[in-house]
Amino acid sequence: MSEVLVVGSGAAGLFSSWLLARDGWPVIVVGKGTPSSAMSTGCLRRMPEACHEKALNFLADEGMPMVTGERTGISKLGTPFECWLSPSHSTWGPEGAPGSVTVVGFQGHPSLHPNLISSVLGHRGIRARPLTLPSTLPPDIPLTALFRDEGAWEGVATEVQRTEGGTVLLPAFLSRRDYWRLDWLERRCGRTVLEAVTPLEAPGQRLLDLMRARAIEAGASIWDGRTVTSLTVENGSVRTAIVRGGLEVREMEVGALVMATGGALVNGLGLNGRELADPFTAFKVLDDGDVLRGGYATEKGRLVSRSGNVVRNAAGAGDCVRAPCKGYGDGLPHAFESAWTAVKALEGA
Amino acid sequence: MRKDVLIIGGGATGAGIVRDLALRGVECALLEMGDYCHGASGGNHGLLHSGGRYAVTDPPSATECAKENAILRRTAPFCIEGTDGLFVSLPGDDPSFADPFLKGCKGSGVPAEELTAKEALSAEPGLSAEALRCIAVQDGSIDPFALVQANVDSAREAGAMVRNHCRVTDMVLEGGMVVRVKAFDRRSGEILTIVPEIVINAAGAWAPQVAAMAGCEVAMGLDQGSMLVVDGRLCGHVVNRLRPPSDGDITVPNHTATVLGTTSRPAASPEDVAPSRNDMELLLRETSAMLPALRHCRVVRAYGGVRPLPGRGGRGASRTFSLITDERAGNLLSVVGGKLTTYRLMAERVSDQVCNALGVRAGCRTRTEPLGPPVDEAGGSVSLARLRRKYGFKATTVSLADQRMLCSCEQVLRAEAQMVLAGPDALALSDVMRRTRAGMGYCQGLDCALSLQELMMEAGGTEPLASLTEFLEERERGQALASGDQLRQEVLRRHVLRGVFGLGERE
Repeated sequence: MSEVLVVGSGAAGLFSSWLLARDGWPVIVVGKGTPSSAMSTGCLRRMPEACHEKALNFLADEGMPMVTGERTGISKLGTPFECWLSPSHSTWGPEGAPGSVTVVGFQGHPSLHPNLISSVLGHRGIRARPLTLPSTLPPDIPLTALFRDEGAWEGVATEVQRTEGGTVLLPAFLSRRDYWRLDWLERRCGRTVLEAVTPLEAPGQRLLDLMRARAIEAGASIWDGRTVTSLTVENGSVRTAIVRGGLEVREMEVGALVMATGGALVNGLGLNGRELADPFTAFKVLDDGDVLRGGYATEKGRLVSRSGNVVRNAAGAGDCVRAPCKGYGDGLPHAFESAWTAVKALEGA
Repeated sequence: MRKDVLIIGGGATGAGIVRDLALRGVECALLEMGDYCHGASGGNHGLLHSGGRYAVTDPPSATECAKENAILRRTAPFCIEGTDGLFVSLPGDDPSFADPFLKGCKGSGVPAEELTAKEALSAEPGLSAEALRCIAVQDGSIDPFALVQANVDSAREAGAMVRNHCRVTDMVLEGGMVVRVKAFDRRSGEILTIVPEIVINAAGAWAPQVAAMAGCEVAMGLDQGSMLVVDGRLCGHVVNRLRPPSDGDITVPNHTATVLGTTSRPAASPEDVAPSRNDMELLLRETSAMLPALRHCRVVRAYGGVRPLPGRGGRGASRTFSLITDERAGNLLSVVGGKLTTYRLMAERVSDQVCNALGVRAGCRTRTEPLGPPVDEAGGSVSLARLRRKYGFKATTVSLADQRMLCSCEQVLRAEAQMVLAGPDALALSDVMRRTRAGMGYCQGLDCALSLQELMMEAGGTEPLASLTEFLEERERGQALASGDQLRQEVLRRHVLRGVFGLGERE
């Protein structure tokens, strides 16, 4: 049996891989760079429709902290948004927003902008005070570098305790391993501590790490740092692919293909997280007149060739498939739903 | 508030006049509705003309340019790069145009010298190998934002009141004279009332609107021109096409970029600045004939300006300026036309006339009085030289102790933004950008906009969302025609700022 090639190792790619591997397919995932889901909030604003129960089970099995019911998170800019599922420290419950918040940032460091957030929260009726702690780190060095010792944590706790009461909002700079620090800080200060949901930082990456481990456990092979540079399509099916990475060039037979290349995809432009790559021109692309919309054309989950015929063994998942314009926290449900549809389409073929 | 002279409009013309008058001891005020240079003074390619461009078609303009060019190089060297310029003809151009060009230069006092093909290529290695004739002139590049700010600073030091973000809303006339002018100050939210002896309308493309407040008419042709900014300096000289002035025949190396210009079409209004895709293609096609490397460059941004020209406007209109008076408002003087290179001369002539009317004897001092420090001699540090080029006399007030970067594309220090924010002129994010260049590089504010906004709030508070949105919309307009790598950058920027933060879109 030829392998199923999954192009892209973001949320849609990893979820498809896990579903396929779990069903016994030999799966190879080719990933390159940081997927945009790593930069996401890691939150689902709504339940994915098609795969509702399974997606939830999958995340629950992986130990992802789950919140049932509506919660509100705050972005790096202080914009609140509703979500259904998120790490426990980035949300507050439906009982309402806290009356007052202390927003902690590090002077000159771009991780959180306390003045900006406080002002935006103020507009929304939440009393917020900025607390800017001194920092000598250049902005390109991760904040974790400041927090290698207990002393630094004690320092933050002391400064926070000096402020008036209320919830404390911290930049989301902790890796999953150090997540207990937030609990520690909560106990130490006797205050609720929240992590601002920030793009380009931890929450989305935490979700991906979990999904990745799960896909590997189910038997999928993940080839990192590689790109698919060409595909051959014969008689309405994808046959072979060339995968390159470093000095390695590998030509492989392809039993089925899942494109999960992510990002805006219009007329030959592909956006994939922080990396930008040209997508393949074998498939038909729809342009909705906006670079943030559009994407590969699909028919019941399967991709369509340039000439308009359905490609039997190729499906698209995630942001590279044309999706309605998404709001905050709506990207992951779409990724899960489209991956589910893609896998069902391939398994049906 | 009583003032001898009120100047409306803070472009190069208005700033030049307020400085000239203030240096002569005249009590004066300048009000600008946006930031300085927000019209044509900012919407141009930053070319300090040698006069060559007008040598054949408009000799009086050419003479003025040549003289003013020399004066500015002496008095404002900090914001000028003496790159010198080349005029080159290519196959298809009329090769005999070079002869009337050289003759015109000689006749109008524009220094010019013909180079052999070999000399031209060794001076400008990126030049097309097909260049037929090449004439060297003394063009340069100039930073109009730094120039105008230096005029403002100097006028203030001499006692003038200068305010940006302060829009004139109303004029009261009595007996055929403007007796009171009202303005709304966006910074304080207050209405100012000024009682002037003389009002100078230096509102550029908005001059007819200002004149109309006093019931007067100003005939003016509005002419839109488009420009492209490409990443990196792709030529050492200003490179011009040796042919009658036409579209897409100038490239100017400026700061970290090269500016390609320009086009010409009638504009419907002063705000009708948007470049079209046709403009962009035309500019790339025409300029890359002179400099083939432009075919492969990264276009960072497109922008446009509206030239206010006397009479009907268009390519044929003279680039000199005129002063218009109207008996319906005897103390209102409208300045129309002119160009960045000759702004000082215009200011001098207007000021002469004003001083004559006021009975002020003092003469013009701007011909010799320095506007900024001399260009760094050997020994000065690289970073100070760079700061001096942006901030002139104020460069020494930037603390070099804090080397943290705010904008990594343009290498802008946090300390630079802090210096600008400590001054009286920065109200919005874009104001800081125009002064520091933060956000002008190829990421167009993705990296620095939020940090800059935070810094502004630390310094004293602005309305953040309005300021950010305005900034992003302005940058986004310049990216409407983005393609290739720049489109990729723009998509990423929009994903982060718009998709994630919900910014940059009108509510």
